[in-house]
Amino acid sequence: MPPRNHFRPVRTSMALFGALAILTGASMARVEAGTPVPGGTLIYLEQQAHTNLYPPAGGFYPNGGVLNQITDKLTYQNPKTLKIEPWIAESWTVNPNKTEYTFKIRKGVTFSDGTPLDAPAVAKNFDTYGLGNKDLHLPVSEVINNYDHSEVVDPTTVKFYFKKPSPGFLQGTSVIGSGLVSPATLSRKFDELGDATAIIGSGPFVVTKAVLGKEITFAARKDYAWGPANLDHQGPALLDGIKLIITPEDGVRIGALLAGQADVIRQVQAYDEKQVEDQKYLVFAPSTRGVNNSVVFRPDNPLVGDLRVRQALLHATNAPEIVQTLYSPNYPQATSIIAATAAGYVNQAAKLTFDLDQAKALLDAAGWQPGADGLRWKDGKALILTAYESQPQPQNKAMLQLIAQQWSKVGVKLNVLAGDSGSRAADDLDPLKTPVSPAMVGRADPDVIKSQYYPANRDILRQKGGQSQKVQTFVDDKLNRLLEGIASETDEAKRLAIAGEVQAYVIDQAYAIPIFEEPQAFAAAPYVKGLAFEAVGRPSFYGVWLARH
Amino acid sequence: MTRYLIERIGQAVIVLWAAFTVTFILLHVLPGDAILIKFQNPDLGLGPQQIAEIRASYGVDRPLWLQYGHAIGSFLSGDFGYSIQAGVPVSESIRANLPPTLWLTGLGSLLAAVIAMIIAFAASLSPFAWLRALVRSAPALFVSIPTFWLGIALIQIFSFRLRLLPVIGAEGWRGLILPVTTLAIPISAPLAQILVRAIDDVATRPFVAVARAKGATHAWVLWRHVFRNALPPALTVAGVLFGELLGGALITETVFGLNGIGRLTQDAVNNQDAAVLQAVAVLSAVGFVVVNLGVDLLHPLLDPRLARKERVLS
Repeated sequence: MPPRNHFRPVRTSMALFGALAILTGASMARVEAGTPVPGGTLIYLEQQAHTNLYPPAGGFYPNGGVLNQITDKLTYQNPKTLKIEPWIAESWTVNPNKTEYTFKIRKGVTFSDGTPLDAPAVAKNFDTYGLGNKDLHLPVSEVINNYDHSEVVDPTTVKFYFKKPSPGFLQGTSVIGSGLVSPATLSRKFDELGDATAIIGSGPFVVTKAVLGKEITFAARKDYAWGPANLDHQGPALLDGIKLIITPEDGVRIGALLAGQADVIRQVQAYDEKQVEDQKYLVFAPSTRGVNNSVVFRPDNPLVGDLRVRQALLHATNAPEIVQTLYSPNYPQATSIIAATAAGYVNQAAKLTFDLDQAKALLDAAGWQPGADGLRWKDGKALILTAYESQPQPQNKAMLQLIAQQWSKVGVKLNVLAGDSGSRAADDLDPLKTPVSPAMVGRADPDVIKSQYYPANRDILRQKGGQSQKVQTFVDDKLNRLLEGIASETDEAKRLAIAGEVQAYVIDQAYAIPIFEEPQAFAAAPYVKGLAFEAVGRPSFYGVWLARH
Repeated sequence: MTRYLIERIGQAVIVLWAAFTVTFILLHVLPGDAILIKFQNPDLGLGPQQIAEIRASYGVDRPLWLQYGHAIGSFLSGDFGYSIQAGVPVSESIRANLPPTLWLTGLGSLLAAVIAMIIAFAASLSPFAWLRALVRSAPALFVSIPTFWLGIALIQIFSFRLRLLPVIGAEGWRGLILPVTTLAIPISAPLAQILVRAIDDVATRPFVAVARAKGATHAWVLWRHVFRNALPPALTVAGVLFGELLGGALITETVFGLNGIGRLTQDAVNNQDAAVLQAVAVLSAVGFVVVNLGVDLLHPLLDPRLARKERVLS
């Protein structure tokens, strides 16, 4: 059984649970005994259908839920310690410059199509993820920076070369986006990789049947013998299989779980947690350990170009009220731009105070005077901002509306738009149309900060020369230099120090207002044992067993 | 009749072409496009240069007329392209999603017709005036029930409380009972309303009085004479209700977690998945054309006067 205490089973009174187990008698006796019972099929309800299953697109949680069962990774990131441990790679060496990584591949590993998972296969995987494949439309993986080429030293040794130091690569080999797939899968077109049966991995489960938009059937691989070396559970998965069923309605997912029609569900809204726990079912809320759920500014828009305006809005935001009103203790209030459990975290809470007087004073100082209509005005312009809601984030619309309410107390209006995906994607590139945006990313490595802010990556602040042609002037060279440092500093202690500097700098510049640390919320029936999550909250059913089936 | 059919098929081809072209134009007028939505998505975390390369490789920034020519050319040759969002060929998407929707809507409209007929007969045959009035108010109630609410209520009662029918992983007919009922009830309302009014209308005609005078029972007259004459208006409405049926199917599919054309369309609209929308638009146009052609061909069978008129005219 894999370690289970890295998640937070919230407000679950174990005493009560124990009493219930005794009361219900015989059927629960096996649970108390704690010996894994193999067999059975787990019913897992997912809110959204998966999209393209090309592993680097696994960041989308519905995709990750599928890929995490069918693919293995070169290394395993221990979700408790965040240390990198052996998995398909038995061992590795890195040169001091962090430009050459050599991995020793475990012997006897095969993909489910029978082809061996050896050094050439690993090389092909990372050549594709590191460089992309234009003919097949396969894009580059976000987690691999500065990739140059691979070299197959012998059938069990593969070496990767980088153009510049790439200290984040080792952790990058453990993430969902670096799942290893058969060369046959990588020779398909990107446009065909939404077919779950086409994704041939070496994982503990295999997709046996997929009905588009409805369900996926997984069967355990009986010959699986290469799980992460440090897990308690070894050998094939305990379950016979998994049935993943798409159930878009929140109420139907929870109702089905409580009525015994499902065993595990993903996406439990904060307001539904009580209902689940009242029935002695379990809520799991593993942290996504990355960039916190935040509101960011696009300083290229003159309305938020002034540091004092951004600082005023930061102090006008009452994050504790947001967390208490909309969320639960599973959503800890943010104290930096990254989660407290993330690598390199430095507490910034002292700068994130809610202070209306300070906010008003800052707006006054910036020349924004209160008008008769309650709004702040300057040079004949009112301080009216716009943000699009982000649907994948929990209750994002309600959150933005609450922020709008809070900002209105200092005379700033925030329009919250739903919008169709097309308008959102197009307007999101234009700082004049979206001066404010919600943001979050999950990944347990300081590289995630660079991913989020660097102009050549996600470019969340919208800098000139980044994602958008519409940006006029805004560039922050100091920020960019720091971010490059995170991605290339070879000394780990120095790298974490830079990550700390970036956190302080982003808050000092009030580029982002961190709100809460985003979890992935799951619920499971009490007889589901051994449910585990990878470092950023994707479920693993490898060690799961059903105490009743 | 043959000439009539040829004309109708000619009209159908124009309708299909128009559906394709209008969809194509609308999709290009909208801000953003499928490639932007897919690859700008933070889940992929791609940089600006990578996105530019992908846009070029898909040729989305070519001149509009070139894209249109390419789209219609491949469409005619049976290549419907790929769903950018889902990463599967559109033909496969349609193949997976069309049969469940046909079952759902087919059975749903059948049940709606049965419910409408029961209401119509009960509205005329019920023994007491208060009962007839009650039955007559049923359509107004049915039409005002939101589909998603009805679906969730049925699930809560019959699946989660009484545990009679599973919602999750339900196979075959057991899985269809609740969704079909959910879809049928709101659709049955307008049908029932038209039928009740038409029956009232026909019942006052002289030939009904004659039949009654000859000694026929009320029920027999209703079935043999009145109902048959009241059917054509209801049938016409049934053709128009097809659109409502697709809308209801979307909500029913979402609530019950069924795959189908409704949800496929919703996802495609959300993501401006052009290839899928082109195919769905043409498919729906085919549906409309077939249903309305069927209704038109059925009319003369129900009402011999229409057939005679046609013969006289031709």
